[in-house]
Amino acid sequence: MKLERSDRGPLWAFLGPAIILMLVFFVIPVIYVAVVSLMKWNGISAPEFRNIRNYMLLFKDKAFIRSVTNNVIWALVAGFIQVPLAMVMAIILSRKPKGWKFFRTVYFFPQVISGIALAMLWRAVYNAETGLLNGILKSVGMGHLACDWLGGIKTAFPAVLIYWVFYVGYYMVIMMADITTIDESYYEAATIDGATDFQQAIHITIPLIRRTSLLTCVTLASVMGLRQFEQVYMLTNGGPANTTSTIVLYMYKKLQDSNYGVASASAVILILVGVVFIVAIRKLFEGRSETVKVKKVRAGK
Amino acid sequence: MSQTRVRPSLQGRELILAVLRWFLIIFFALYTLFPLIWLFISSLKTNFEFLAGSPFALPAVPQWQNYINALTVAGLGRMLLNSVIVGLSATVFNIIVASMGAYCISRFRFNGREKIFTLFTAGILVPLNALMVPYFVIITKLGLINTYGGMILLYCAIGIPMSTFLIRGLMDSIPMELEEAAYIDGCGFFGRFFHIILPLSRTGIVTAATFEFLTCWNEFVFANLLVSSEKLRTIQVGIRYFTNQFSTDYVSMYAAIMISIIPSIIGYILFQEQIIAGMTSGAVKG
Amino acid sequence: MKKALALLLALCMIFALCACGQQAAPAPAAEKPAEAPAAEAPAAEAPAAPAEEIVINFPSVWVGTDSKAPYMEKLIAQFNEENAGSIKVVVEEQTDYQAARDKLRTTITTGNTPDLCILDTTYDIKAYTTSGKFMDLSPYLAEGWGQDFTDGAIDAWSVDGKVCFLPFESAVFTPIYNTKIFNEIGWDHFPATYDEFFQFCKDAKAAGYNAMGQMAGENGWSSMLWYSLIVEAIGGKDVYADGLKNPAFVQAAEVLKQMYDYTFEGALSAGAGDVNGHWLKRDTAIYLNGPWWVANLYKEENAVDGVLLADDCEVAANPKYEGGKGEGGLVTTVQAFLAAAEQTDPAKKEAVVKFIKYLTDPEHVSELALTSGAMFFVKYEPSPETNLISQKLTQVANDADFTIIHVNGAFPTAFSTEFPAAVSALIGGQVDAQGFVDQLQTAIDMAE
Repeated sequence: MKLERSDRGPLWAFLGPAIILMLVFFVIPVIYVAVVSLMKWNGISAPEFRNIRNYMLLFKDKAFIRSVTNNVIWALVAGFIQVPLAMVMAIILSRKPKGWKFFRTVYFFPQVISGIALAMLWRAVYNAETGLLNGILKSVGMGHLACDWLGGIKTAFPAVLIYWVFYVGYYMVIMMADITTIDESYYEAATIDGATDFQQAIHITIPLIRRTSLLTCVTLASVMGLRQFEQVYMLTNGGPANTTSTIVLYMYKKLQDSNYGVASASAVILILVGVVFIVAIRKLFEGRSETVKVKKVRAGK
Repeated sequence: MSQTRVRPSLQGRELILAVLRWFLIIFFALYTLFPLIWLFISSLKTNFEFLAGSPFALPAVPQWQNYINALTVAGLGRMLLNSVIVGLSATVFNIIVASMGAYCISRFRFNGREKIFTLFTAGILVPLNALMVPYFVIITKLGLINTYGGMILLYCAIGIPMSTFLIRGLMDSIPMELEEAAYIDGCGFFGRFFHIILPLSRTGIVTAATFEFLTCWNEFVFANLLVSSEKLRTIQVGIRYFTNQFSTDYVSMYAAIMISIIPSIIGYILFQEQIIAGMTSGAVKG
Repeated sequence: MKKALALLLALCMIFALCACGQQAAPAPAAEKPAEAPAAEAPAAEAPAAPAEEIVINFPSVWVGTDSKAPYMEKLIAQFNEENAGSIKVVVEEQTDYQAARDKLRTTITTGNTPDLCILDTTYDIKAYTTSGKFMDLSPYLAEGWGQDFTDGAIDAWSVDGKVCFLPFESAVFTPIYNTKIFNEIGWDHFPATYDEFFQFCKDAKAAGYNAMGQMAGENGWSSMLWYSLIVEAIGGKDVYADGLKNPAFVQAAEVLKQMYDYTFEGALSAGAGDVNGHWLKRDTAIYLNGPWWVANLYKEENAVDGVLLADDCEVAANPKYEGGKGEGGLVTTVQAFLAAAEQTDPAKKEAVVKFIKYLTDPEHVSELALTSGAMFFVKYEPSPETNLISQKLTQVANDADFTIIHVNGAFPTAFSTEFPAAVSALIGGQVDAQGFVDQLQTAIDMAE
């Protein structure tokens, strides 16, 4: 919509509070972090200007490189495995099978449960001696595969990643909210034409949510993947040998060391990586202008 | 002839799809219920059973005492109330500010619109742990340290990027024609916002509100940092009452977690009803 | 756009300056609002003259389920009663230890150091002391108060004659073993040397027992303690003199690696809960932790068939290492320092000192030791009711020819944050013993 002169005042009044909050709580603190990232500072003594030395240190640190790699993998898995899974579930549930309300509520539970509990459970599942996973493997005669999942240098990261991929409730709820706004008449027409549920999903639902909630979810999931901290912190604390570390965990540890400079530098890098992701995802889902067109078609029906 | 050959195969496929569908539904349901059940069982054990026994065994005698412990010793009641106060206030403010912002970004073209939106999206990325020092200073400078206000303001602010992002996503899918028609009928800026956009983006708003509330409910770092008075502590601080420097009273902690989950699950279920009601009455009517 | 950027940068500069500038002005800004909510409830019982009351804010980890909590609560309530109307200590409960550290770091950095705090940092004391953010207690200690502390304890942590960090709680780290398991395997004594120790480990393993608990998950605490013991046994008294350069660190890493063959499965991902669980389960022969854990040995909850774990326990000494310099040594640490924020108001300064003196009063400390099992740097008459294991630990501490602190305390925090990762890299075969030490050194260098 074109901005009318009479709208200009109210527009800024509406946008104002959000922008002020963003400035005070994001822009200024982030600039502060960026400034600190150029310094050597332990929080007690006077800060010393270091130029980009903190960044050089980071790129020389294997643990940091590993953290960045892990986060990128995490973001990709989240965006391109977790979200599609969530989409499948959203489509299934939006066809309102028996008990769909119940299931939709249940799927959201992990979001409600404190992260501590989730991490403690999965530690118990992966435990080498008493763990459920090894127990199952042994009982089906695959005991040779049993191992210390979270302690193995090769197995720890996949173990941390895999269990988490299946918690899809968060994104499912977002997509379901969108799917339910699709006009029923589409599906009615398709059903008359003899299209199966599967065909309807492919030809109606997915194209219609693709540039709205699907894009939202892929972006969100990737960003959440990049920000991953709590689960790793409580499951493995980045171990073994930093193989499950993430950028935020790395940063947190540097904060514990009172190494504010390096911690801030890693935060800056996280933001940069994230911006690259957001832009790339938007490019992948093509320009936004088409969104309007699709929706117009939908509304026109 | 071809008709008869196609139909059974279609039915076969439908059957497979139905089986697959129910397999997925039940798999995901078990997968998500599993932690809750495990948590509940663990919360009824003794610490000795929890530490030394199998993590998946049932308790010999259910220890309801753990719940009494959690409620009385840790004083969870007051903390639940604080969490509700802080969470609800922050959510209300957050949603008001974010939906107004999202409206502007979604419905109007103006200079810097995309830049502002990118800024908001990038906000989701910011690792808040890195901002402990600046946030502490800001809240102190505003004189809001150790008050509900400080927590509410901070939670409201840190949820802005996410809420704006979610609400904008939904507002984008409201057809422009609707608003244009209203505009031609003489409906002003506020009228269009309150009478057309807000009702139609209800699902997005409820989704965003749910997430914002849960963020507040589950936030611990700043709840601990910004408040020192026991009277203002929130539930996440309460859950950690049973940890100390050297050991953790796991079972009481799990009981506390169970207690902290119950209100949010009930709240969520009630909220879900609202979403459903909103969806049926406010479905896009083209 | 450029203007906007310039404005933002300027704002940021101001902001950074504020953050630094605040260091000059001490705490009161933070504690005024802190009074307000606290004042709501007790308004009824407080009689007159609340205007003069000095409030001391004290974020404490000795609360909640901590073993020192019950007596501390009593002590502080008593202090507040004795000084009603003039001084009031307000405890801020900090149960989550890591969160408490994070908060303390943030408040100190932003110039809001609490009036009194509990710190466990041993390495950063110099920087903290010279920062001027903390109160120098040396004049008060010189007035005779210092006599209450064990010999040399205070001097060890003074910087240029200033004592900002008062060593309060101590800890000794020496193995405790399960005599029942030892008897079953056919050992009637604790190994005196590390060679013998590994002989024992083999026997234990053959009999289906874990020799000891190790953990490389969480903060790697148990492995850190074992590593400290080995380092002490090899390097002796002056092992920390040249940082990590002493060859003892590499040798000790080899020994630690061997130990992992005799611990339970999954130690690489294990946390404190796993180590404690195995020890409670009676499938692990030797346990290593601080004195605060003793209380658990006496808990009914942890008894099996009505036998307390303590009844099957014996205190041992760190084994000797062939060719090592560690004989007669003991690994200890300062578990907690008391440190107070610098005060501008002399009356408040006096009040804070009064409270610290009250806390460190030998009589109070004796009771605190009895009720919690913890050990202290204050000289006190141990209560006759002290349990047997605690008595033996005190004996071990008194018998030691010399003490060194554990490795986490001897190096910057960066060492302890990297330690679990380095251990798992060592055990997982990613690095050798030298690589293990190098990895830790790199982590330390990064913070320098």
